[in-house]
Amino acid sequence: MNCEECRDLIDPYIDNELDVSATILLKRHLLECPECRPLLESRKALQALLKNPQLQFEVPDSLRGKIRSRLPGITVRARHGVQSVIPWISVPLALAAAFAVMLAFLKPVGVFDRARANTLAEEVVSSHVRSLLAAHLLDVPSTDQHTVKPWFDGKLKFSPPVQDFAERGFRLIGGRLDYLDGREVAAVVYQRNKHIINLFIWPLEAEQSAAAKSFAKDGFNVLHWDRDGFEFWAISDVSAQDLKAFADLEMHQF
Amino acid sequence: MNDEQTRARFEHLLLPLLTDAYNLARWLMKNQEDAEDMVQESYLKAFRFFGGFHEGGNCRAWFLRIVRNTCYTALEARKLKGKEVPIEEDENNGIEDPSPLPTAILDQNTTIEGVRKAIEQLPADFREALVLREFEGLSYKEIADVSGVPLGTVMSRLARARNQLQFILLEQKKQEIL
Repeated sequence: MNCEECRDLIDPYIDNELDVSATILLKRHLLECPECRPLLESRKALQALLKNPQLQFEVPDSLRGKIRSRLPGITVRARHGVQSVIPWISVPLALAAAFAVMLAFLKPVGVFDRARANTLAEEVVSSHVRSLLAAHLLDVPSTDQHTVKPWFDGKLKFSPPVQDFAERGFRLIGGRLDYLDGREVAAVVYQRNKHIINLFIWPLEAEQSAAAKSFAKDGFNVLHWDRDGFEFWAISDVSAQDLKAFADLEMHQF
Repeated sequence: MNDEQTRARFEHLLLPLLTDAYNLARWLMKNQEDAEDMVQESYLKAFRFFGGFHEGGNCRAWFLRIVRNTCYTALEARKLKGKEVPIEEDENNGIEDPSPLPTAILDQNTTIEGVRKAIEQLPADFREALVLREFEGLSYKEIADVSGVPLGTVMSRLARARNQLQFILLEQKKQEIL
């Protein structure tokens, strides 16, 4: 590979859009060429700069209201046991049913009965959507795991594991209490670029051991796993690949 | 699917995309007021055309395309009316592609405001590609779909957007030092 080709391919390379063989050629060229290496460095520096979440614009509250009032016939549906804000979200039952079916297939029978799966799947999705729209994403906004964890310890009857993976692109941004499966649970919130990941954690009830299970539906990816006596549900609109990477970090780094 | 179900599905799929839609509109229109108008209009359009969106399709790309086209339509209309307009741009506006590329490492002192201004200075096509990639996290294929251009164009727009952005940021630095 020559320098000109390298310059053409450097962007697809940092964007993970390059195929394997071209990637190998490019990496080899970068190792050998002192003139092209700074280009890669500057691209990385630029990307790091653009990763700053403060660059994102906050949606004005007034806009949320306007969309709500102008869309024809937005339905109102109150949910029990949760924040009463955000009446304008309703998660179709069909979605929950689809989750339930998937869960029933993937989980060993008896460990995770259908009714519970049904309820949980619906609750995880709607909790996530609600947290994004209700302006109630965080009770404790903090990027410091040593702030977030003690906060949970003081509020819950259990002590959820809280880790930060900012260096790996999943920044801890805080936590909040949520209500799932008839109990209080920890919702640890992460940010990937501009995308929010909700990680719901609560103590495992029955003896279970299961590998991570993933589901995708309507733009959300959901992953579920157990570890060290806790049940974990991660949900986000990041790619399935990214969510898997996130789960791997969570599972291995403890 | 009856009306009620369609509406519920629309809410479920589209309302969580509000932040994405607003950010794209905000970067394209360069001001809050216009961005809000564009987002509202986009939601109404999306609601009207929701029947054309296929189950299992890429909802985000579909909706962002609507937002993008809504913004461009508005910008074009203003251009015709001769109002003062922020649409500059054929792809060779004033900023030259720097050559050789500026390779100085951008430091962390670059302010948020500085970066935003620099992005706003980019030609619209480049800005759009950059925003869809860096802030909306779309793949090249998705950007090609949203912008309605071939993959090769996406690649070159992104490369040139980044070159120019690095150049503008370095210029800002020089100004500060002087």
